[in-house]
Amino acid sequence: MNQLIKFGIVLALICFAATLVLAFTYEITKPKIEKGLEQEEKNALSEIMPEADSFDAKSTDGIDYFEALSSGKTIGYCIKVTGTGYNGYIRMIAGIDEKGTIKGIRVLEQYETPGLGARINEKKPGEKEPAFLKQFNGKNARALEIKKDVDAITGATISSKAVTDAVRDTTSQFLDKIKTGKTR
Amino acid sequence: MKMLGEFVKGVWRENPTFRLALGLCPTLAVSTSVINGIGMGVAATFVLVGSNIFVSIIRSKIPNKVRIPCFIVVIATFVTIADLFMKAYTPALSRSLGMFVPLIVVNCMVLGRAEAFSSKYPPLRSIFDALGMGLGFTWALILISAIREVLGNGTIMGVLINKNFQPPLFMILAPGALLTIGLLIGLINYITSRR
Repeated sequence: MNQLIKFGIVLALICFAATLVLAFTYEITKPKIEKGLEQEEKNALSEIMPEADSFDAKSTDGIDYFEALSSGKTIGYCIKVTGTGYNGYIRMIAGIDEKGTIKGIRVLEQYETPGLGARINEKKPGEKEPAFLKQFNGKNARALEIKKDVDAITGATISSKAVTDAVRDTTSQFLDKIKTGKTR
Repeated sequence: MKMLGEFVKGVWRENPTFRLALGLCPTLAVSTSVINGIGMGVAATFVLVGSNIFVSIIRSKIPNKVRIPCFIVVIATFVTIADLFMKAYTPALSRSLGMFVPLIVVNCMVLGRAEAFSSKYPPLRSIFDALGMGLGFTWALILISAIREVLGNGTIMGVLINKNFQPPLFMILAPGALLTIGLLIGLINYITSRR
């Protein structure tokens, strides 16, 4: 019994020290981590819609989006899209204009296989955006279909389909919502 | 001299990857690009040094029967510190290593050093042991990932080598890692047995 208490005390002390150290580390790294994520999102937004001068973060029906404004007028929407890829989720931002034409897509976070699925977000030297994502530009977001509108990456059909389906489904849902909201 | 011995031991004679065959899971998973290899190696070295120092300092206070949970708490703490700092200062690298930074906790190389070395020896020797092991792990990772990145992706450190080279995909996938590690271990065994 005595021994048990001693074990408990030793473990508790070590855990207490560990918790203190971790709480401290968490506090000093947290602002930095959040700032990094924010910056990443900002860069993606201004890359998708360079003509917009401000972005308004909004949310409807569980979809987070940014309204892109150019001198006070809405010129399009940047929608946060999450797809289910091969190894985990793929977090993206999809930019569309008011008619639903895709202006650009940026991948923020993905865990696809390097050399295969990860190519959805790979740039060749000298390219401004990944070749796979470039295919989406100018297409109608509602009718997107893999192998018809966009070529899948060889050996990475699941990742390619995940991006296409997620962008189509979320933007369609979003566009429906916006439309009904306006007529009402 | 004794310190130098502890250091060199991990780099070559008891290299965790090639000689002890420890920590192979992260080695297989992250050695797809040299940057990943370096990142993983540095993170693991940090955890090794941190946990070795700490375990060595408190080694006389820890009752033998609860030593493993104590070691794991210490290791997990250092892994979380490494993970948080990588997320804050090298977000791209942290993202491409993904789950494998937190998984250093279960890397048997780290617990192995705590159990086999730092729980028996004073802090200074433990530091050299950890540095040697960490460096051994790092150079092994860099070598494996360099081979796989060149052959499997046609790049080195992300720079394209030759436009006309069509890389065989399997080198970047798990079979390529197993083949590379197997052949390298074979080569190193051959070299050491000839001496």
